Amino acid sequence: MFASLAREARFLAKDRGALFWLILAFFLSCAAVSFGIAEVREQRETIAALIEEDAADRANALETQEDWGGAAYYAFHLTYAPPSDFAFAAMGQRDSSPWKHRVRMLALEGQIHEADTRNADFGLVGRFDFAFLAASVAPLLLILLLYDLRASERTARRHDLLVATAGSPFSMWLPRALVRVTALALLLLIPLWIGAAVEGTSMVISVTASGIMIGALLLWWLIVELVSRIDASASVLLTSLIGLWLALAIVMPAVSKAGIEAANPVPDGGEILLLQRETVNDAWDLPKAATMKPFVAEHPELADHAEIEEGFEWKWYYAFQQVGDQTAAPLVSEYRAARIARDRQAGLAALLSPTSLVERAFERLADTDALSMIGYEDRVRRYHAKLRAFYYPLMFLEQPYDADVLKKLPDYDANG
Amino acid sequence: MTSPLEAKSLSLVREGNAVLDGVSFTVARGEIFALLGGNGAGKSSTLLTFLGFLKPSGGEVLVNGQSVTGDVAAARGAIAYLPEAASLYGHMTAYENLDYFLDLAGKPAGRADLDAALDRVALPAEARTRRLRSYSKGMRQKTAIALALLRETPILLLDEPTSGLDPVAIDEFHDLVKALAGGGQTVLMVTHDVYGACQVADRVGLLRGGKLVGSFSAANGERIDTETVHAAFAERQAA
Ligand SMILES: Nc1ncnc2c1ncn2[C@@H]1O[C@H](COP(=O)(O)OP(=O)(O)OP(=O)(O)O)[C@@H](O)[C@H]1O
Ligand SMILES: [Mg+2]
Repeated sequence: MFASLAREARFLAKDRGALFWLILAFFLSCAAVSFGIAEVREQRETIAALIEEDAADRANALETQEDWGGAAYYAFHLTYAPPSDFAFAAMGQRDSSPWKHRVRMLALEGQIHEADTRNADFGLVGRFDFAFLAASVAPLLLILLLYDLRASERTARRHDLLVATAGSPFSMWLPRALVRVTALALLLLIPLWIGAAVEGTSMVISVTASGIMIGALLLWWLIVELVSRIDASASVLLTSLIGLWLALAIVMPAVSKAGIEAANPVPDGGEILLLQRETVNDAWDLPKAATMKPFVAEHPELADHAEIEEGFEWKWYYAFQQVGDQTAAPLVSEYRAARIARDRQAGLAALLSPTSLVERAFERLADTDALSMIGYEDRVRRYHAKLRAFYYPLMFLEQPYDADVLKKLPDYDANG
Repeated sequence: MTSPLEAKSLSLVREGNAVLDGVSFTVARGEIFALLGGNGAGKSSTLLTFLGFLKPSGGEVLVNGQSVTGDVAAARGAIAYLPEAASLYGHMTAYENLDYFLDLAGKPAGRADLDAALDRVALPAEARTRRLRSYSKGMRQKTAIALALLRETPILLLDEPTSGLDPVAIDEFHDLVKALAGGGQTVLMVTHDVYGACQVADRVGLLRGGKLVGSFSAANGERIDTETVHAAFAERQAA
C-alpha cells in the first residue's frame, strides 16, 4: 500500500490541474485562518480597551455622586464574552449576537436587546472562516479533484491499460483518490494547525476539529465515489456532483433554516425592549403601590422597607426598573426558549446536510454557537442580579452614602 | 500441458449485440497467434475478455488453465496488454511513463532496463526525456511496446501493435515479437493487417460474423501464404 501511495503521490506532483486545486485550497485555508485570527485579535483588543475605559469611566462617574441611587444610575459596567482560543476558526453566532454590553442598574432586558450588534451582513453563505471553508468549500474542491478520476482516463483510452496493469481496479483508484484526499486534507489543515498553535488552542479541540473535517471529506469522497460509478461522461458527473453539493451545502441548510424559523416564531429583541420601556414609563404615572407590590413579591426580605413616602425615591425608581424586567420576563423566556428550540431543530436538520453538521460542530468547539451566546446573556443577567443584590440593601435599608463601599461593587466575571 | 491462452466456445454480447458466437482457440506457449478480422469483427473485444473487462455470455476464457472470471487479478498479472491506439500520459516523459506503469504493475525497473527496452523498440535516446505530447504516433506506440516488453510477462496481448509504425519499424517489431516468442512468451495479437499477420504469426485465425471462420498455419518453417489468407479474408468480407 505504501508503495502505491508513493507512486500516486509522484503522479499527483505532475498533474497540474490537481495541483492547481490543491494550491488554491492551501491559500484559501491560509486566508480563512488569518482573517479569523485578525478578527479575534481585534475583538480582544476592543475588549481590552473597553476594560481599561470601564474602570476609569466608572470612577469618574462615581466621583460626583452623593447617594446610592445616583451612583447606580451613572455607573456603567462592562460585560463581554471574550472569543475562545478556537473562535478564529469559527466565528459562528458572534457575527449576529452581541458579545459585549455596558449595563447599569436600570431595567436589564432592554439593555441586553438594544446592544450594538455588529450585525455584519454576510449574505447567504456567511463569513469566510475556516468552518465555512471546511464545511462548504472543501467538498467542492474534493469534487473537482475526484470527479473525473476514472472518466478522464476513459476519455484518454487509458482506463483498461491502467486497470489491466494494476491487476485490480482497487489497487489503482483507491491510492490515487486517497492521495488526493489526503493532500487536500493536509493542505487545509496545516494552516489551521498553525493558527491553533498561535492561538494556543487545546490539543483536544484541534484534533477533534481535524477529525470532523476529515470525516466530512471522507463522506463526500463516498458520495463522489458512488456518483462516479454511473457510466456517464465527466461533464455529466461533474454537473451531478455540483448539483448534489448545491443541494446539500446550500439549498438544504437554507430551506431548513427558513422552515425552522417559520415554525418557531421568535419575538424580536425590539419587542422586549418596547414592552419593558412602556412598563417603566407607565410606572411614573401609576400609584406607587402598583410598582411596589410586584417588587416585594420578588423581594419579600425588603417588604418592611418598601414604603415609599416622598414624591421621588430611588428605591421606588429601581423597583419599577426591576418590575419592567419582571413584566418582560415571559416574553424574554419565550424568546430564549424559541432560540433554543430553533437551535435544537437546526441540529436535527443538520443531520441532512454534512455542511451544516460540520459548521455546527466547529461552532460548538469554538463556543460561538447559539447556546454559547445565550450562555453569555445569562452571564450578564447573573451579573446584573449581583448588582441589584449589592445596591438594594444599601438603598432600601437607607444606609448612609459612603463612596468607599462602592469599591466593593461586584466585578463581572467573563467565565462565571 | 495447459495452454497459456484458451477460448472455449466463447460468446459475447455487447449492448445487446452478439459480438462473438462460439469462438474456440488455444495459443500454445511460445506461439504467436494472429487473430485477423475486419473492423468491428470483435478482435479487441476478445482481448478485453481475456483481461476480464468483458464477461463471456457463453463459454469461457482461460489464462494458464484458469478461468479468467474466477481470478481476474491472476490473469492480468500474467499478461502484458498493448491496447489499440495505446495512449500513455502526454504530460510525462517516456521514462516517467514507464516508471509509473511498471510501479503500477508492481515491477519497478532501473534506468538501464528502461533504456534497454527503449533501444529494442528504437526510440531515439534524445526523445526519452521529452513529454509524450511532443511524440509522433509511432514514437508513442514504441513507448507502449517498450512497456509491454518490460513487464516480462509470460503472455502478450497486442491490439493492432503496428498501427502508426513505419515499414522499417514494423519489420523490427516483427523480429522483436519473434524473439520474444522464441524466448517462451506467448503472443496473441489482433489485427486487420493480413500481410503483417502472415509475416509474424505461427498461426492466423480469421474472425468474421462473430465466428472463427478460418485457420492458417505455417508448414515446416515456411511463412503463412499471404495470398491465400488475403483471398479468404476478402472472400469472407464480401460474403
Ligand atoms: N464500448 C462498447 N460498447 C458497446 N459495444 C461495443 C463497444 N466497443 C465495441 N463494441 C461493439 O462490439 C463489436 C466488436 O467491436 P471490437 O472493438 O471488438 O471490434 P474490432 O474487431 O476490434 O474492430 P476494429 O478493427 O475496428 O478495432 C462491434 O460491433 C462494436 O460495435
Ligand atoms: Mg479493435
